[in-house]
Amino acid sequence: MLELRDVHSYYGHIHALKGISLSVEKGEIVTLIGANGAGKTTTLRTISGLLHPRHGSIWLDGERLDGLPPDIIVRKGVGQSPEGRQIFPRLTVMENLEMGAYTRNDKEGIRRDLEHVFGLFPRLAERRNQPGGTLSGGEQQMLAIGRALMCRPRVLLLDEPSMGLAPLLVETIFNIIRELNREGTTILLVEQNAAKALAVAHRGYVIETGHIVLSDNAANLRQNDLVRKAYLGET
Amino acid sequence: MKGNQSKRVLSLAALMALIAAGCAMPVTPAAPAQPAAPAATEAPAAPEFTPPTDPIGVVQIGPNDPIHIAYMLVTSGSDGTLGIDSRRGIEIAIEDVGGKLLGHDIKLSGEDSGCNAEGGQAAAAKLAADSTIVAVIGSSCSSEMRAGGPTLSKAGFLIVSPSNTAPDLTDPAKRFPGYFRTAHNDKVQGAVAAQFVAEQLKLKKAATIHDGSPYAEGLANAFAENFEKLGGTITTKEAVGPNDTDFKPVLTKIAATEPEIIFYPIFVAAGSLITKQVKEVPGLGDKVVLMAADGTFSPDFIKAAGEAVIGMYQSSPDFSAFTGGYADFLAKHEKKYGEKPLSAFHAHAYDAFNMVAAAIEKVAVKGPDGTLYIGRQALRDAFAATKDYKGLTGTLTCDPNGDCADPKIAVYQQTEENLKKLEVPTTPIWKP
Amino acid sequence: MVATRTKRVIRLEPTDVFIYIIGALIVFVVVVGSIATLSQGKYSINAWVDLFVFGVTLGSIYSLIALGYTMVYGILRMINFAHSEVFMSGPFTAYFLAEAFSRSGFLNQSPVIALILIFALSMGTSVLVAVLIERIAYRPLRNAPRLVPLITAIGASFFVQYMFRGLYGTNIKVYPEIEALKGQITLGAFRVSYIQILVIVAAAAMMLGLHLFVQKTRTGKAMRAVAEDRSTAALMGINVDNIIVTTFILGGALAGAAGVLYALVFTQVHFFMGFIPGIKAFTAAVLGGIGNIPGAMLGGLFLGVIESLGPMLFLDGLGITAPYQLKDAIAFSLLVLVLIFRPTGILGERIREKKA
Repeated sequence: MLELRDVHSYYGHIHALKGISLSVEKGEIVTLIGANGAGKTTTLRTISGLLHPRHGSIWLDGERLDGLPPDIIVRKGVGQSPEGRQIFPRLTVMENLEMGAYTRNDKEGIRRDLEHVFGLFPRLAERRNQPGGTLSGGEQQMLAIGRALMCRPRVLLLDEPSMGLAPLLVETIFNIIRELNREGTTILLVEQNAAKALAVAHRGYVIETGHIVLSDNAANLRQNDLVRKAYLGET
Repeated sequence: MKGNQSKRVLSLAALMALIAAGCAMPVTPAAPAQPAAPAATEAPAAPEFTPPTDPIGVVQIGPNDPIHIAYMLVTSGSDGTLGIDSRRGIEIAIEDVGGKLLGHDIKLSGEDSGCNAEGGQAAAAKLAADSTIVAVIGSSCSSEMRAGGPTLSKAGFLIVSPSNTAPDLTDPAKRFPGYFRTAHNDKVQGAVAAQFVAEQLKLKKAATIHDGSPYAEGLANAFAENFEKLGGTITTKEAVGPNDTDFKPVLTKIAATEPEIIFYPIFVAAGSLITKQVKEVPGLGDKVVLMAADGTFSPDFIKAAGEAVIGMYQSSPDFSAFTGGYADFLAKHEKKYGEKPLSAFHAHAYDAFNMVAAAIEKVAVKGPDGTLYIGRQALRDAFAATKDYKGLTGTLTCDPNGDCADPKIAVYQQTEENLKKLEVPTTPIWKP
Repeated sequence: MVATRTKRVIRLEPTDVFIYIIGALIVFVVVVGSIATLSQGKYSINAWVDLFVFGVTLGSIYSLIALGYTMVYGILRMINFAHSEVFMSGPFTAYFLAEAFSRSGFLNQSPVIALILIFALSMGTSVLVAVLIERIAYRPLRNAPRLVPLITAIGASFFVQYMFRGLYGTNIKVYPEIEALKGQITLGAFRVSYIQILVIVAAAAMMLGLHLFVQKTRTGKAMRAVAEDRSTAALMGINVDNIIVTTFILGGALAGAAGVLYALVFTQVHFFMGFIPGIKAFTAAVLGGIGNIPGAMLGGLFLGVIESLGPMLFLDGLGITAPYQLKDAIAFSLLVLVLIFRPTGILGERIREKKA
């Protein structure tokens, strides 16, 4: 469904992605794990059009995405919850969610999706008129995910949803990711918390300094020595 | 994509540079003085010729080179008519002598000095760099001369202003060498205005407004001094900025002091707004009498102030006292520019040029090869010695401080007729 | 323990002390001057009310211009120095229409329709100039270091200014007066002229309209989103370029309207007329907290009233002659004062710097 073929991306002169190829099939949760600075976020920024790849191509259901501006890519069905949440702090919760639905015009559908998001995250419903900046970290993460869902994405990109959250909240977030997937959402999950990520994902890729070094199904990756040593903290 | 963008940026930058250059393009300097070699080879038998020497330098003008006179006047912006008016006076004067002096063409170049200190300084610096210039006619506004005058003086030029009227420019302690003016000193104008208000209008309480320029401040002070001498009271002396537009606050403050007349000898831009806004301020409205000076004595001012000018007084040079040649001058002006003079200092500029020309004729020495030598100090001295010169503005004699004007100031009143025709009054209603 | 305690001690740098002394001095002059002036009772209550109304009139115009600076700053983090020329170009172009209306008598026959057309032309021209400046001078440099668009802003400002100078000359153009606006309303001791009422009402209506637009509409919310975080806004599917253009359109329209109001109050236009109001409006935007829309409105009114009342209120009582010469000095001193105690302006919040 979503496919990257030999993608090279640069930050100025820094060669950040050195030929990434990966794919996400419909209905899957695929995780991309790796250390800080390995290129995880860069991969997501490249998919969503904030960075344009210098080589390679990106495809969504047979349509080329690379080179398109970010707002068009969103319209094609790629939703993203960015790293560090990046909610709009001075917009209310409600307005943040409305921004998520910016590309849509079907009022009725938006209303239904809003109810759906509030159903997933009752806390957001309680705080709908509060500025986003006043929410706690966990609530902001919920808002970021909810906001990404509001554009009815065909593929949902989640960037470090567990970052900086208390263990209990991490659990909640991952439950919700599972729940979303059960409802049929295709998810590309970028995580540092490899254990949690591999627990929910069907398949996974390991990225190191801009290269994909491993790819397999989640169960196999959990057993892989390299993964166990480097990312699961086992000896 | 990237290359395209940078190309666009580059072309934009180039366009702007071009425009900037266009604005700042100096007048092309004259060719350097001719080499003296031919004189030595061709005329060995001629009697020995020693070029004149001069303590501050000699201008050499080659046989085929023009005599270079420069102007430094405000020719753009909201006060531009003041300087354009003077420049036209110079241009007509040059035409009247057939464009030639001592067999040399006359070249007129100039700088716009903006009617402010910064503009005066910049213009003076540019002129001072050109050593072919013999004399500078300017400036328009006293502030320009205050800032730029020392530079012009050091360059050795003869400087003659057709419209500086601030008293301290010819104050012996502050005057710089080589500075003269054919315009009246505001001490005279201030006294005339005060006399008119006190003796003719018989008013006792006056307020003054100046805009911080030497001209306006000097004139306002001269008025106040003389008015108090004549038994009047100055209720308040106010100052505004030349670029201000909202004068209602300051007028409201003035209203509280209950003057019978406001004297505001400033320039067109601010002057017209004050004239209008007075009518809208309670307590002043139609009650207070308005009087301004020659800085606003122009059609521009009438147009900008609109109906509010009707009935107001202005002191200005007395055109009716100008000599017979003035009618001729006006005819030439109308023919050449298709309109009446724009401001009050065209005749002064005309006289200034002719006096400069007369002084040059007096001191210039022609070499055997036709090269003209003009001693700079000698030229200044010759100008200073001008006595009983019959010009358009009267009979001019330079005093030791550089005041050469034959001050004839009168008071004019604006009428509906003036507003309709957009012309300044030509007949004074009162003379001292 | 010791370490934490020393951290709590606020260390006063000499420059801070200096700044606070200046702040205290300004407050002192303001307080003492006001008391002295008021206790002398030289000026009637009417005079004060008149001054206040003048101040609000001028301040409303400053506010409208300031909104353009603040909205563009909010979105692009850059000072659009060409905004003063956006302000000038509208009423200058509309002058020719107003003059034609005046000559044909249409202006005084149906002043409402004439005014609407004059406003429309002025706002349209200002919008066009604003959009062209954005397209030509700013957009190609969107990702350049911040100083670069600042330079092109100044260049664009000169370009527009001298283009108008070249096209229409340096003379002051006198705006025709409208008979219907000449009167005044007298309420007991208070007099307010129709023009002042028009300016204040029109400015208030436009500011209310802008507020509703920004708070309630989809595009308005998108503008706020782009202002807070441009790349995240793009991830929402917002076309950032379109939103930026919308911002310039709004700022241009407000400036064009402000220009006509200015021309009606001062009855003249001039190619250099944008400079001073532009600087003042920029000051107002900083005073209110740049990037903050209600701040710009408040800052403009504050500046207008201070300019109008301040010199007489603060300085007259201290025996300073010709205080109105110092109105800009007073306005800027108060700017300094506000910035000492509230570095981000009256309503400003610390604006998050963009990630590289």
